[in-house]
Amino acid sequence: MNGTWVVARREIRSYVDSPVAYLFIVAFLVSCSVLFFFMQGFFAAGVASLRPWFGLMPIMLSILLPALTMRMWAEERKQGTYETLLTLPLSEGQLVLGKYLAAMTVLGAALILSLPVPIMVSAFGRFDPGIIVAEYLGIVLLSSASIALGQLVSSLTRNQMSAFLATALVLVAMTMLSQLAAFFSLPSWLSAMVNWLSLSYRFSSFSKGVVDSRDCAYFIILSAMCLYLTTRRIAFGKWS
Amino acid sequence: MIAVQGLRKSYGDYEAVRGVSFSVHDGGVMGLLGPNGAGKTTIMKMLTGYHRPDGGVALLDGIDVDEDPLAVKARVGYLPEGVPLYLDMSVADYLDFAARARMLPRLRVKEAMDRAMEACGLSGMGPIRLEHLSKGYRQRVGLAQAIIHDPPILILDEPTTGLDPNQILEIRSLIRSLGEKKTVILSTHILQEVEALCSSVIILNEGQVAAQGSPAQIAESLKGEDRIECVLAHGVPESAVDQLRAEPSVQSLQCSELAGERVGLSVRSPAGQGDRAAEAVFRWAVAHSAVLLEMRRDRLSMEEIFVKITGEESAS
Repeated sequence: MNGTWVVARREIRSYVDSPVAYLFIVAFLVSCSVLFFFMQGFFAAGVASLRPWFGLMPIMLSILLPALTMRMWAEERKQGTYETLLTLPLSEGQLVLGKYLAAMTVLGAALILSLPVPIMVSAFGRFDPGIIVAEYLGIVLLSSASIALGQLVSSLTRNQMSAFLATALVLVAMTMLSQLAAFFSLPSWLSAMVNWLSLSYRFSSFSKGVVDSRDCAYFIILSAMCLYLTTRRIAFGKWS
Repeated sequence: MIAVQGLRKSYGDYEAVRGVSFSVHDGGVMGLLGPNGAGKTTIMKMLTGYHRPDGGVALLDGIDVDEDPLAVKARVGYLPEGVPLYLDMSVADYLDFAARARMLPRLRVKEAMDRAMEACGLSGMGPIRLEHLSKGYRQRVGLAQAIIHDPPILILDEPTTGLDPNQILEIRSLIRSLGEKKTVILSTHILQEVEALCSSVIILNEGQVAAQGSPAQIAESLKGEDRIECVLAHGVPESAVDQLRAEPSVQSLQCSELAGERVGLSVRSPAGQGDRAAEAVFRWAVAHSAVLLEMRRDRLSMEEIFVKITGEESAS
């Protein structure tokens, strides 16, 4: 566990020393707020609802989170530090988990800084804090799966830009799946399958304030699976 | 102590290392010498657990690197080729990371950092970002991270490449002093480095051990003949030269005119007869009142050995 923390600490430092973390947080807060307050006409609607605010997050995060994950392994490979890292007495699991925790920390900072929005909006009406907590929980779980997937993609590429594009493509596709299912009026068995995979569909029950164990399990298993595959990818690299 | 037995590694169809065996004892500096692509770096990558061998065993302090890579990594300090560093970090931050990643207790981190920085001539450079350092100083940081946990084994891949002559001397004397207590393996294609630093040498060629031993032993085993180079203050009569030429220990003899009245004598003797030939030259000089200004035995230099071994191998 100690080794994981050492890696996480270095990664967080590197996020903080580079503009990536700040750009991510600012882009996340600004884009969500602008879309929520102006594009969706919050003030004109006359209804104080936070649902659209949280509804924006999955698609915003699927574009912005790849910016955090793209460098994780691709940069190590490019600058050669991959070799130094892999010859430290740290297991693949510690390395992968450390990097994952660092990205989750940056995400956590962004979410904490987004708190003023729900706090402000709640002045206009009576909100159930339980729903807000559920929605934040959903966002954390969704981001966890996205970061784990982004890390896996980064471990498979040498180039940060291809890591970014590939991750964003997969995440946007997984987020939009449910809209596609609705748009094309697919047969129910197919749309059920598509929804089962869709990140935003899984998230939608959280935004209703429902914490379904199946949805939690989906995100947790997806995260764990991607993290595990990343450790295998790194271990496998020693044979090449 | 490092013991390597039948180590093999292929990259696709290319066999980089083909059954290499050697051992290095504590308190010795071993040089891996070879032309580019001989397999030096691949061997080091396998010893540090970065690559897994296709066959063979590497034991470091008795631990099989393939079975317990983490235990081996904890005992090894490694300077990879090209010194990859996190350039966005400062010297102090990077060494702090290196120390903690090696599981040094928190209270000992500061002390270990100070010690490594002083040993590598980095005192007072803690706050400087690595991207602002020259190549020589980056090399020192790479070396500092390798010794920060005071490992019993050091593996250094081309530790002096790209340094200026002063820096090379400094780094060499650092490696020499580290080698007194630790087991050090270094790779190089600079031959003087081996002569200056190493107690034993392995010459690799095309993934195989071409020669092995101490620099002197290798030179001895390859030495076809002994050479004695002399400088005389004055010329000597031709008849006197013929007399020396007739000595049984003298294989051939060449005279050359040097600046002033000096004359050069180049004596060659069959392998192992060097002492006798030298004695003959001395007695001959006394008998003919030839004034010897200079007399030296030539050893085959590592340079010549290297060319001889790697050249012959690739020719065959």
